[in-house]
Amino acid sequence: MKKFLLITLFIFIAAGANAQIKLNVKAALNNLFRYGSGNETNLGQTYGKEYFENVSDARLSINDIVFGMRYEIDRPIEYGNDFLGIKKRYVEYTNDEVGINLRAGDFWEIIGRGLSLNVFEDRFLYYDTGIDGVRASYKKTFGQKNPFKVKGMILGGKMTFNDYLVPTRVETYDVRSGNFELAPAKFMILGGNYVYSTGSVPTSIDTTATKSYVPEAYGWLKFSNFQWFLSYAHKQTNTEENTLYDAMNAKGDGFYSSLSYSIPKVGLTFDYKNYRFDLTAPDYRGNDRPTRMLPYQNPPTAIKEHATTLLSRYPHVVDFNDEVGAQMDVIYAPNDKMTFNFNTAAASRHYNYINSGVGGLVEYERVDRSDDFIPSFSDEFSPWYEFFAEGEYYVSDNFYGKVAYDYQNSVIYDYLSPENSEKQWVHTIPTEFRYTFIPEYTFKLSFEQQFLYNSNAATDKNFMNQLIALSLSKSPELSATIGYEWTTSDDEPTGKTNWLLGEVSYKINPTNTVTVSYGTERGGVRCTNGICRYVRPFEGFRLTINSKF
Amino acid sequence: MKKLSLLIVLLFVFVSVSKAQMYFEFTLPDIDGTDVSMSKIMDKSNVVMLSFWATWCTPCKEEMKKMNDIYEKYKDKGFTYVALNNDNQKSVSKVKSFIVAQGYKFPVLLDTDKKVFEGYSGKDEMPYSLLINKNKEIIAVHTGFKTGDEKMIEEEIKAALEVK
Repeated sequence: MKKFLLITLFIFIAAGANAQIKLNVKAALNNLFRYGSGNETNLGQTYGKEYFENVSDARLSINDIVFGMRYEIDRPIEYGNDFLGIKKRYVEYTNDEVGINLRAGDFWEIIGRGLSLNVFEDRFLYYDTGIDGVRASYKKTFGQKNPFKVKGMILGGKMTFNDYLVPTRVETYDVRSGNFELAPAKFMILGGNYVYSTGSVPTSIDTTATKSYVPEAYGWLKFSNFQWFLSYAHKQTNTEENTLYDAMNAKGDGFYSSLSYSIPKVGLTFDYKNYRFDLTAPDYRGNDRPTRMLPYQNPPTAIKEHATTLLSRYPHVVDFNDEVGAQMDVIYAPNDKMTFNFNTAAASRHYNYINSGVGGLVEYERVDRSDDFIPSFSDEFSPWYEFFAEGEYYVSDNFYGKVAYDYQNSVIYDYLSPENSEKQWVHTIPTEFRYTFIPEYTFKLSFEQQFLYNSNAATDKNFMNQLIALSLSKSPELSATIGYEWTTSDDEPTGKTNWLLGEVSYKINPTNTVTVSYGTERGGVRCTNGICRYVRPFEGFRLTINSKF
Repeated sequence: MKKLSLLIVLLFVFVSVSKAQMYFEFTLPDIDGTDVSMSKIMDKSNVVMLSFWATWCTPCKEEMKKMNDIYEKYKDKGFTYVALNNDNQKSVSKVKSFIVAQGYKFPVLLDTDKKVFEGYSGKDEMPYSLLINKNKEIIAVHTGFKTGDEKMIEEEIKAALEVK
């Protein structure tokens, strides 16, 4: 903290040293207040739940220098560890003419598509891989008609990573990274990045010291109506011996490529992923394994992220350590009233494992295959695939409709008892209709129907979910929604089969919004960027105030 | 603790006496990889609307459709609509396909690491839009989008352009 203040002071003095500079001071504040009171259910137990959170992000700009700070009150927090105090702070200097940017304090960063470095925050998941340190970047363009661009960046700092599944487990890393990017022509970018880190990875009985090296190379090419991106990263993690693990020298890699083609009315994107950052036997795939993909890495998931309630409840959880797959996405807009979207994706593990142990011992042996660069649909590879189709139509200025269909099929293979493998398929039909009956007043109906089969369901293996939400909004300030959901499944952790939730949102002015909700929430798995956690069922009252000053 | 409280009070005082929502210059690549600078857009425009969006954000796409009509209506009068894309590594490859297929002609810039979004005080909610006049003053800010909001935004643009 002292060092940080010293750097801040130095920059301010440096800025003020030139008496000719006219000070241009601006400030902004974002505030998010959240309060909730009710009951939450976890592991079959229902208990009282209350949270009180206030997150204030302030920014103060003096000419080219920005000072930022986040003051946070989480007492108690809804999910994660309680906190009170300054959680983030930074000072940043930017000079666009020279092309430099310097930042000291907290920051997030992404290089390429994130195969070697992608640190970000998702507060809802309690996921934060932000780095506390220094970052310096430089970019320059030479020439105008045929510009030659160069970009470089170095960073170093500490990363404190709370395991979002077990928030009390904290991993720490010292991270160093250097990035260099060249654009020798308008149609091409070539880049390289190198990350070195030392880490401390605790598990239940011991802590493992790690050293990791992650070089990455990437490129981007544009030709005619095509754009092509490809990236390859290699990861090596060396660990020291402890009571849990022998010393390891684990090597893995990841490859990602996307090819897109666009012409008026039609857009097509093909994504391919081949992530092998920590190929290992099924009994070593723990979330705290020290040789797994590092928390500061986060490559593309190459699956569609859905926005509707029921569809997003059964996501495919990407395993970046062992997954190969592809995605195709097509957009077709025949006119300015209609848009169609088709998406299909498939993924699986690379290899099958067989138990070659004798006398009751479990010892897995990998079964290699030559076509491990494509996903397999055999159960042994825990395959997953999806088809999605959606059509939306602006019938008139007053009426809009959207209908979609989605099918997902997945297997989570049990290597010891294949008959206990979890097989699941899900058909979902989400729809949405909006009707503006008086200017400013819009009525919205969302209806989703879902049919499921899950081989491991305790009672009825075939069941269905249904959701209906009615919403009335008055532009720009008010919206009220009432949502009702029910299921025929008997396996819900709360024992409930229906949920009713009401929500009112009021905009005091364009940047200050109050949202109040009351009722029952089903909970379920929620994902961002392939990071997924189970959100517990909740019943009660929530208040959110979002402000900007 | 006293120091901290003092710091917070000072910060709030600063915020209350200073002009909120800071305009700042930036340069970002467009969907073809060409660098576009905000200062050049401002030089050519009387009023600019910056709108942060992502392909997975349904209200963003509705706002964009409505704003495209408004952009076509007022672009000759000096209005520019700039869509700043906040898709991250998982979906940024679909951005150009979406924009070209829809036939949108306004500038679309890629703010993949959200640095500009953060610089303009963006926080979680999208779409997030700012209306900027010729004097580089932020004259309106909008968070979220509801059907019908386009009428209010159009009125704000007309007032800024001094068009009846």
